[in-house]
Amino acid sequence: MDRLFNPMIRAMRALPKPIVAAVNGVAAGGGANLALACDIVLTARSARFDQAFVRISLLPDLGGTWFLPHIVGDARARALAMLGSSVPAEDAVRMGMAWQVLDDSALMEEAKKLAHRLAAGPTLSYAAIKQAINAAATNTLDQQLDLERDSQRALGRSADYKEGVAAFLAKRPATFTGR
Amino acid sequence: MQYEKILLAKKDGLATLTFNAPDRLNAVSRKMVAEIKLCWEDLAADSSVRAVLLTGSGRGFCAGADLADPDREASATADSGAALEKYFNPVIRLMRALPKPIVSAVNGVAAGVGMSFVLASDIAIAAKSASFLQAFARIGLLPDGGSTWFLPRLVGEQRARALAMLAPQIPAEQAKEWGLIWDVVEDGELMKTATELARRLAEGPAMSLARIKEAMNRASGNDLGRQLDLERDFQRELGRSEDFKEGVAAFLAKRKPVFKGK
Repeated sequence: MDRLFNPMIRAMRALPKPIVAAVNGVAAGGGANLALACDIVLTARSARFDQAFVRISLLPDLGGTWFLPHIVGDARARALAMLGSSVPAEDAVRMGMAWQVLDDSALMEEAKKLAHRLAAGPTLSYAAIKQAINAAATNTLDQQLDLERDSQRALGRSADYKEGVAAFLAKRPATFTGR
Repeated sequence: MQYEKILLAKKDGLATLTFNAPDRLNAVSRKMVAEIKLCWEDLAADSSVRAVLLTGSGRGFCAGADLADPDREASATADSGAALEKYFNPVIRLMRALPKPIVSAVNGVAAGVGMSFVLASDIAIAAKSASFLQAFARIGLLPDGGSTWFLPRLVGEQRARALAMLAPQIPAEQAKEWGLIWDVVEDGELMKTATELARRLAEGPAMSLARIKEAMNRASGNDLGRQLDLERDFQRELGRSEDFKEGVAAFLAKRKPVFKGK
């Protein structure tokens, strides 16, 4: 745990790039929480999110005890963990554990499309969003407003911001370079 | 104070702040945000005001920062942090610290910092045709006006990331389902419903409403142990108020309470 899994979750959250999960089938135990550590989760209709740990007398790990209350709220998090619930994809979307449910056959194509879109997007903006939302969990609103100010100041000097505003005003799609 | 880009009306304890640049879907110019800030300062200082209704004139609620603002070149593009520091962040801080309920009546699109204004208010009601948009990533920015803090708390970590990174336009019904707002009503009913609600709050037990707001503000940084202590202290204080005596008396007599805010 200490050597492999936790460093992986930490690295995923710290990665200044969006991570898209395409959950194509059952995501159980650590697999479920690996999905929750991603930024945007797409799921096949037939997939399930299974907090199996309690069934073998463990607690959710890979950040599960942190992700669950921050994603589905305290009450649902306790039930999911204690009951070892297996959540169908549609319910996972309804509870906010996944962003979108897709037909099994459409999943990979849609996930690739989304990931390509993000790869062609304003990279610095995504990095700042990710860092800000990570920090929001423990910041006060006051601290977060200062963080937004500093990040926005830096982004306001980027080439992608100039391009974004120019494209908006010219009513054309923006071409971002990640700088 | 004469405002140009907003309207402010006060009547019977209810203040109504209306963004008023309808030809721009109430996009926030430098001039408008300066007025908004002054207005919140006034509302905080005015003890006759007991609740605030926030809305937009025309088709939009607020389309976010005005990217075509002629005043913009001088400061914002040179330093987009400066406008936050000087205007927008103080506005969000004033809204949250205001010891009076703020009701948003979202009459149309609430985009960018316009959406942040909605999230910073206490109770938001939207017209069915209204929509919500964290537009920032579309122009290479990150959500501001506190949205990076509000979003994960309102819709959870996952959806917050998608809303910020993908910048989708969210219909009012979806926003309600996710808990971004309190309710959705038919377009023609919005102002009536929101005004009635805000008026009810203006006539409500002001100290109780102020403490509820403060307790919720503090809850996000407190652990449960500290929050229980805070509830104890606030409840002790409220238990000594006239409105508490009136509330209990009215409950026992099965009549409508008349609160004085004391």
